[in-house]
Amino acid sequence: MRSGLKSDIFEKFAALAGSISNSELEGWKQQGGKVIGYTCSFVPEELFVAAGLMPFRIRATGSLSAGRADDYFEAANICSLVRHCFNKILTGEYEFIDGCVIGGGCDANRHILDNWEKSEARIPFLHRIFFPHSSGILMAQNFRNQLENLKQLLEEHFGLKITDDKLRDAIVLCNEIRDLQKAIYALRKVDNPPITASETIALVVAGYSMPKEAYKADLTQLLEELRCVTVPENKKTVRLMVVGPGHDEPTLCDIIETMGGTVVTDLTCYGGKTLFGSVREADPDPLQALADYQVIDRPLCPKNLDAHPIINREVMDKIKEYRVDGIIGQSYLCCETWGGELFLLQKELKEAGIPMLRIEREYTSDSLGQVQTRVQAFIETISGGLL
Amino acid sequence: MINIFSQLMMEANKSLYGLTIDPQNASKGPVVLGNGDFFIEIPVAFGCAFSDLTLTGANGTALPTAAELIDKGIETGVGSRMCNAIKVASYYLEAGLISKPDMIITSNSCCDSMTTLGILMNGYKPWADVPKFTMDAPHSFDEESYLYFGHQLRNAVTFMETVTGRKMGWDRLREVCVESNKQRQLLLEFQELKKAVPCPTEPDLARQGTEYTTWTSDRVTPTVTAWLEQLVTATEQRVKEGKGIDGVNEKVRFLWQDLAGSWASGTVLARLQKELGAVCLMDYVSYATWTPIDLSSEETMFTSFGKRFLLEDAMNRQALHTADLFCNDILQIVKEFKCDAVIMPAHIGHRDTNSRMKIVRDLCREHGIPCLVLGMDIWDKRYMTPEVVFDRMKTFFEVSGLI
Repeated sequence: MRSGLKSDIFEKFAALAGSISNSELEGWKQQGGKVIGYTCSFVPEELFVAAGLMPFRIRATGSLSAGRADDYFEAANICSLVRHCFNKILTGEYEFIDGCVIGGGCDANRHILDNWEKSEARIPFLHRIFFPHSSGILMAQNFRNQLENLKQLLEEHFGLKITDDKLRDAIVLCNEIRDLQKAIYALRKVDNPPITASETIALVVAGYSMPKEAYKADLTQLLEELRCVTVPENKKTVRLMVVGPGHDEPTLCDIIETMGGTVVTDLTCYGGKTLFGSVREADPDPLQALADYQVIDRPLCPKNLDAHPIINREVMDKIKEYRVDGIIGQSYLCCETWGGELFLLQKELKEAGIPMLRIEREYTSDSLGQVQTRVQAFIETISGGLL
Repeated sequence: MINIFSQLMMEANKSLYGLTIDPQNASKGPVVLGNGDFFIEIPVAFGCAFSDLTLTGANGTALPTAAELIDKGIETGVGSRMCNAIKVASYYLEAGLISKPDMIITSNSCCDSMTTLGILMNGYKPWADVPKFTMDAPHSFDEESYLYFGHQLRNAVTFMETVTGRKMGWDRLREVCVESNKQRQLLLEFQELKKAVPCPTEPDLARQGTEYTTWTSDRVTPTVTAWLEQLVTATEQRVKEGKGIDGVNEKVRFLWQDLAGSWASGTVLARLQKELGAVCLMDYVSYATWTPIDLSSEETMFTSFGKRFLLEDAMNRQALHTADLFCNDILQIVKEFKCDAVIMPAHIGHRDTNSRMKIVRDLCREHGIPCLVLGMDIWDKRYMTPEVVFDRMKTFFEVSGLI
């Protein structure tokens, strides 16, 4: 859904988020720029930015079938997001990338690399890093070592040098982008947010799909525009938050907002989960600063055994900040770790008197018919039929 | 027919089936509850009980009430496509059937389902005050990884000491490791003997031996060592005599590249052996690659622990690492055990194996090894019944020209 706000930047972000290849990317490539793909929000983009590479987060936008990937991954037992992403890789939609780093978050995701290496779509630079499954100094050190290794491999493969100063500059840039995104998210705390959930998804997904400096400039301008917008008084709505794994396309949010809800914030892998805090900027060891951020400050992934209290606190804080009436806990079928996390969260929200709708779904939107009915009933229940 | 092997099997089974969902009742010392594998020599030397809630759930699926327990697990709402062993464990937990442990130690060993069980245990409100320790098992196997995980196991000892106020007896730990080394060596010897053609005895004894040394209350005790010695001696004799399994006319030798689960051994695999002479030489739990724990110093011990845990524990070896290691193991086993075929049960809860299907199929095709992928549930025989599994395997052996 669109807010009706006229903005060239919104149009641009919507176009970038609505396809895989895009004009910004093509412009970068035409200037001789290299692009590095990655999966999982725990792969630090800062490292690629410092290397002068354009990071591009792998997603499955527009995918209607995972037919070719299903030769590799058993369809009934593997998360459809992973299968659809891999299908895009196999069908050549990612042929513009010069390398890829797989973030070994879950069992299915980490096997993308094994399958990719053995497929016809194989590319010369494929690497995997593993996000630790518990948080502590030892784990942050281990993750730092993995980043050091990745840094060396990038330097060797692309013939470049990633200095500490470049890393610090990249950290500053990515912190600034996070701050701008947070500021735009915060605009949705008001009664009638100036942007819709779909526009917010487009806004964050665009950030994974274009050069960072240009993205920062666009975000800065968009924030100015949004601050000047006068939003007409809308009818009463139910304020909802979406929690769960990767959520790179707007269909679910469109359903929610069509049914009378307003998604005011989220804690998902492409969205709100990535806007947590900041990386230390002046650290003498910038790699350690990146590792500490991911492992100690922001372990917001249920694959981490220490994450639940942090996820729970983050959800509860957001409920207060954004005046959330209810939670949509969405996960893909076969996503076990989010299944467990949402199970715990639902019990705790019940104790706190916050309603939660749990949805298990497939990636493609054609599976969302039943979801629409359930969302409608959920919104009606919360609103007491007043919408 | 009751022979020495049947007797040994009964002894091991008695100990395995004696496992209770409530280990506190059987334990005098403090109880550590885990979501999966832990380095068992540590709690044994420390004098405390260790219970693995995944194993407890898996054992539930072997009970006559298995279907009911699995359905109750589904009703908890933990995830519709979660591994059924974990669903049963979740049900036990949510129904308050597991007594409060003295401490909880969890890790991501060895799959997403087991990690999720760890999340549920750590977030279980009635146990909010139970001290907890979490470990990160890396998906890598090199010296650095062994040191890293060994360091965490050392920290786990400190945690246990802090919680209990007791001290680890380092001499006792060495003693336990010496016993453990003996047992692992005996398992390796049995594995070597199993390679004979025809297979000299029930190959499933390897799985039972591994489980006996790892999961039962007798683990790492001289009782199990004596059991393994008897097994090796009797099997050696059998090999010398050139005899195969009693009552089996061996025609096909195959690798079952997954867990046998709670029902396959007693139904499909037993029937295949008896009716078709198709013998399952190896499965996920049985494959032994043990190296001795290096007792020269505390550091070498813990690094050895790290290696054993990450690379030599069969389930971690299969599930935690790359497809290359998985494939190399398949080729190695097929070659060494003279297997005629590979069966991929592809348990629906195993995301790792379900992510490697094309790689395995291609590998087998390239090496001329007949391969069958089933897609079954090793804990719930309603998903694909024993009869269907039997028929599929029979047809597969027939069309492959093996029977």
